[in-house]
Amino acid sequence: MTRPRTLLVDDPVLERSPFGSSHPFRAERGALTRALLEACGALHQDEVADVERLDERLLGAVHEQAYLEALIRAGRGERVDDARMFGLGTSDCPVVPGMHRVAMRAADATVSAAELVASGAAQRAVHLTGGLHHAHRARASGFCLVNDLALAIEHLTRRRGLRVAYVDVDVHHGDGVQGIFWERADVLTVSVHQSGRTLFPGTGAEDEIGAGAGRGFAVNLPLAPFIDDAGYLAAFDALVPTALSAFGPDVIVLQAGADAHWRDPLAQLSLSGDGLDAVYGRVIDLAERCCEGRMVVTGGGGYDAWRSVPRAWARLWARLAERELPDELPETWRRAWGERLGVSLPTRLREGTLPDLDARATERAASHALAVAKRVAARLTPLWRRED
Amino acid sequence: MLVRDVMTVNVIAIGPEMPIRDVAALMEMRRVRHFPILEDDEQGEARLVGIVSDRDLRAVDSPHPSARPDVHVSDPVRSIMVTPVATAHPDDAAEDVAAWLREYRVGALPVLDGEQLVGIVSPPDLLAALALPAAIREPSSVLEVEVGNRPGCLAALLQTLAQHGLNVSQLTTTRAEPEIGCFIVRVNTIDAPRVAGNLTREGWTVLWPEPDAAPPASPQRGPEVEEVA
Repeated sequence: MTRPRTLLVDDPVLERSPFGSSHPFRAERGALTRALLEACGALHQDEVADVERLDERLLGAVHEQAYLEALIRAGRGERVDDARMFGLGTSDCPVVPGMHRVAMRAADATVSAAELVASGAAQRAVHLTGGLHHAHRARASGFCLVNDLALAIEHLTRRRGLRVAYVDVDVHHGDGVQGIFWERADVLTVSVHQSGRTLFPGTGAEDEIGAGAGRGFAVNLPLAPFIDDAGYLAAFDALVPTALSAFGPDVIVLQAGADAHWRDPLAQLSLSGDGLDAVYGRVIDLAERCCEGRMVVTGGGGYDAWRSVPRAWARLWARLAERELPDELPETWRRAWGERLGVSLPTRLREGTLPDLDARATERAASHALAVAKRVAARLTPLWRRED
Repeated sequence: MLVRDVMTVNVIAIGPEMPIRDVAALMEMRRVRHFPILEDDEQGEARLVGIVSDRDLRAVDSPHPSARPDVHVSDPVRSIMVTPVATAHPDDAAEDVAAWLREYRVGALPVLDGEQLVGIVSPPDLLAALALPAAIREPSSVLEVEVGNRPGCLAALLQTLAQHGLNVSQLTTTRAEPEIGCFIVRVNTIDAPRVAGNLTREGWTVLWPEPDAAPPASPQRGPEVEEVA
């Protein structure tokens, strides 16, 4: 029997943000994490896979043609009259020359990761600069232009005939992916996020459950601000494992945004680095139980880009590839990348500072989250009973 | 918001001579709680003469103190219908009707345009309509900003948001103190803390989210976007 293989899909283009270097979406987070893993000896050359070119027809199955045309025209510097209707030219998704090519390469990479798993070349495949879950069928939103996750899921389901469970632990609701598969029963979307009442994009309420054939196949667990590790994990455990085992996926697609971390400047949950690591661990365990470990994993949000993100994603890779990481991070990595990015990088894998939690706020958030998780499970369980 | 915009128009009305037993069966089948009761007047025009609710039906042949021992399930519904009927007009404000339902302690109001029954309005219709301002229309973040209760204060806030290139998709208010209005604004960006920071530095009091500390010391030396082959 061969050893289970975990591969990282990467390409130099992926180091670039579609929106340029002054935008808060930091594409270098993937390269920074990869460099950290290499410096730790936890990622070997033969574990890196190239990006395959995407089939254009797949793009058309996920995005509307009019949107794709607007995106390409805008990226080529041509005038697009109704750009804002497509979410382009906004402060989140400014029009930048070449942005469409970068976005499509990121989509290629996630589809490549999906194909590696579907073909059996890898048990798990990872693309750290993917996870652009806010891109809608006909609208750019929240730093996302092309929905690489939806393309990968479309590839896995329609081309490979697999049942896909999508698990999104980014702090923001996975609205784009949920919307694209809203009426599909062969894709279960699960999003655990800070409630839309307090955070972008506003959706992801517990009563969003899918429609038509897909009724019951969208699962949302919205959380109040300031929830901590214990509260998050208890609510997660009360809902997500039941949903996944009832659905019975062939593969899990994980959007592993790192912005539920307490230091994240764009959101208000209070997970520690260890908490985030435990969340990733939960999903990996579920994949072991439900689908022989098969996983397609992407990065996602994470705006404490130099401190929390590389540590979170390095630990994610270490779990996926079954590696040990040293607590003291390599000086070579700190120096080279610190200089390159003009920032001071962390010295240790585990954070020294923990969030300063208000016990009453975290307790209330935990109690509420558990109630929500139980309500959603109770409501959806009858819908998950399969006829066959 | 008007009653005509929120009412249920597919209203099922019955005649006063229908036996109570049949009314109960019909109500169960149609899954509603109220039937307006129509009867032709001398000119042959249908007129609203009463209303019957599931509660009125349950009082027949019941051990409950409100029971009507004098009425049998084979009697016509006329014997238990409530009359006269409190009604609403299609051009009444939905907000007013919400208050009337509490005041009259009833579960629904038939809607009459002149003498003609055109709909029925009940709490679920009103709740859906009144919750609409809180519904999410497009991907957006919430900002909670204190705004003085003087002419131009709100306009200034919206002007500022426009200058930052933001589109406002929703605006609601909670006015706890008379001198300070607190406005809840939804704007089309994922980066609300940056907006909150900018507003704070321009003198606004932002209650949510916590503003970012300072313009982020973002490194400018990252790789630039180039044309990709």
